[in-house]
Amino acid sequence: MSLQRCQAEWEEIDQEYRQLQETHKVYRHKLDELTNLQTLCSNSVSKQRKSLRDLNYNLLRCLKTSDPKESEQIKAIQTQIKEKQHVFFDMEAYLPKKNGLYLNLVLGNVNVTLLSNQAKFAYKDEYEKFKLYMTIILLLGAISSRFILNYRVTDEIFNFLLVWYYCTLTIRESILINNGSRIKGWWVSHHYVSTFLSGVMLTWPDGVVYQMFRNQFLDFSIYQSFVQFLQYYYQSGCLYRLRALGERNQLDLTVEGFQSWMWRGLTFLLPFLFFGHFWQLYNAVSLFELASHKDCKEWQVLMLALTFLVLFLGNFLTTLKVVHQKFQKNKGKLGKKE
Amino acid sequence: MSSYSECLQEWKSLETEYQQVQETHRLYKEKLEEVSRLQEACSVSIARQRKKLKEISHLLTKGVNSDDAGDIDKIQALIKERSNVFFEMEAFLPKKNGLCLSLVLGNVNVTLLNKQAKFAYKDEYETFKLCFTILILLFAFTCCFIVSNRIVDAILNFLLVWYYCILTVRESVLISNGSKIKGWWVFHHYISAFLSGVILTWPDGNLYQVFRKQFLAYSLYQSFVQLLQYYYQNGCLYRLRSLGKRHTMDLTVEGFQSWMWRGLGFLLPFLFFGHFWQLYNGLSLFRMALLPECTDWQVVVCGSTFLVLFSGNFLTTIAVVHHKFQTKNQAKMKK
Repeated sequence: MSLQRCQAEWEEIDQEYRQLQETHKVYRHKLDELTNLQTLCSNSVSKQRKSLRDLNYNLLRCLKTSDPKESEQIKAIQTQIKEKQHVFFDMEAYLPKKNGLYLNLVLGNVNVTLLSNQAKFAYKDEYEKFKLYMTIILLLGAISSRFILNYRVTDEIFNFLLVWYYCTLTIRESILINNGSRIKGWWVSHHYVSTFLSGVMLTWPDGVVYQMFRNQFLDFSIYQSFVQFLQYYYQSGCLYRLRALGERNQLDLTVEGFQSWMWRGLTFLLPFLFFGHFWQLYNAVSLFELASHKDCKEWQVLMLALTFLVLFLGNFLTTLKVVHQKFQKNKGKLGKKE
Repeated sequence: MSSYSECLQEWKSLETEYQQVQETHRLYKEKLEEVSRLQEACSVSIARQRKKLKEISHLLTKGVNSDDAGDIDKIQALIKERSNVFFEMEAFLPKKNGLCLSLVLGNVNVTLLNKQAKFAYKDEYETFKLCFTILILLFAFTCCFIVSNRIVDAILNFLLVWYYCILTVRESVLISNGSKIKGWWVFHHYISAFLSGVILTWPDGNLYQVFRKQFLAYSLYQSFVQLLQYYYQNGCLYRLRSLGKRHTMDLTVEGFQSWMWRGLGFLLPFLFFGHFWQLYNGLSLFRMALLPECTDWQVVVCGSTFLVLFSGNFLTTIAVVHHKFQTKNQAKMKK
C-alpha cells in the first residue's frame, strides 16, 4: 500500500524535478551572459576612467594658454569629469573587483562584492552587530579577569580573544571597503596596531613585571570596551537619523573615534574619548618606567610601550584634527557674518 | 600637446561612449535582478524537493513487504542519485555560510559561480599551501640552526597560527563551493592552530629550551613531508583528473587518501614516521610534566594535543590501509 503511495509521490516530485532542471539550465545560461556583461562593463568603465584622466590632464595644460571664455568652458568640463568619476565609483560597487592584498592573502580570489544595495546594507548592519556583541563579551571578559579569575591562562584566553576580534574586524572592514564603504585610514590601521599589541601581550610571560602592569591593563580594557559600547550605541542611532535625512551614505560605519558628523548631538562623547587616549599615553609611560626597572628583562615591555605610544598619537591627533576643523568652520562662519 | 579644439573633440567622443557605458550598466543591473530571481527559484525548489525526498525515503523504510524489495531498492537508488544532482546544482547557487565563515566573514556569499573560477580558486589554495610550507620550512630551519631567540620563535609560532587559521577559512570556502574534504583533515587544522597558539604562550625557561630543539626538528620534518605530499599529490591528481577518475575539486591533504595507492604508496612510511614523532613529542612532554620543577601549564596541554593529533592522523591513515587490504581480499576471494 505504502509503496504505491511512494510511487505516486515520486511521480509528483519527478515533475517538479524536470522543471527544476529546465530552470537550472536557463539559470546557468543567464549566469554566463551576466558574467560576460560584468567583464564588458568593468572594461569599459576602466577605459573611460583612464581616458577621462588623460583628458583632464590635457585640459589643465590648455588652461594655462586659454582666454577667459575658454577657461570657463574648460572648468565646466572638468566639473563634469569629476561628476562622472563619482558615477563610475558607484557603478563599480556593483561590479566584482579584485581583492586587495590583505583579502587576497586571507581569502584568495573569491569575490566579496555584494551585488545589491540591500545586501550591502545588511552586511554593514551585521558588522555593527558583531562589533557590539564582541565588545560586550570583551567587557565581561576583562571584568572577570580583573576581579574574579586571577590566572595567566584566563589572561591568555582574553588576549587571544582580542587578537581574533581585531583580525576579524580587519577582514570584515576590507570587505566593506571593497563594497564601497569609505572608512578613513587611521581607523582601519589602528585595528592592525591593536592586533599587534594584543599579540605581544600574549607572549609576555608571567612574572613580577607582568603582575605590576596586569591590573592597569585590565582596567584600561574595561574602560575602553565601555567607551566603545557607548560609541557604537550612540553612533548607530545618530547615523540612522542622518541617513533618514539623506545626509550620510548608506555604508557609513561606526568607528572608535570622533567623526565630523558626530558634532550633531554626540559631542558629549569627546571627553570620554580623550580620557581613553590619555590613558593609552599613561600606559606607555608606565611601561617605559617598568622597562628601566632592575627586574625587567622582557622585550615585551619596551615593545608594548612603543605600541601604546603609537596608538595614543594616532588616536589623539586624528580626533584633534576633527575638533580643529570644526573650529575653523565656526571661525569661517563668524567671519562671513561680519 | 593637445590643443583646446582637440580636447573638445575627445570630450565629445567620450560623451557618446559614456552613454553606451550607462546603457550597458543598466542592462547589467537588469540581468543581475533576473539572475537573482532564478537563483531564488532554484534554491527554493531544491529545498522543497529535498524535504519531499526525505519523507519518501522515510516512508519506504517503514512498513513495506518483502515482495516489493526490488522496487524499493530502485527508488532508494534514484533518491540517492537525485541528492547528488542537487549537491552539484547547489555548488552554483549562493548559499548561507557555515558557522566558521559566518563568524569571520559575515554574510558575504563565497560561492564561485562557474567551473573555471572554482578550479582557479582551488589552484590558488594549493599554491598558497605550497608557498607557505616552504616559508615555514625555511623559518624552522633558521630557528633550529642559525638563530636561537625567543622572539624569532614567537614569530614562527605566530606564522604557524596564522597559516592554519587561513587554511581553515579557505577550506570552508572550498567546501561551500562543492569540495568534499574529509572531516579529520579540516579539523586537524584547528587543532594545529591551537597547538601553535599554546606554544606561543610558553615562556622561555629551562623546560622550553629542552623541548625547543625537538619541536623545531619536528616542524622541519613535517614541512618537508608536506612539501613532498603536495608536490606528488598534485601531479597524481592532475593525471587522475584527466583520466576522469577524480573530481575537479579534490584537494591535496596532509594524509593518505584512497586514490594515492596509484603510485604514491612510497609516501606512507614518511607519514607514519611523522605520526610516531607526534606520539614521541606527546610522551616527552608528559615526562616533562612529571618533573618537580615543571610549573608551565603549556607542557600538559601541548602533550595532550600532540596525542590527539597522533591518534587522529594515525587512525585515519590506518583506516585507508585497512580498507585497501579489505578490497584486495575481496578481489582475491572473488577469483
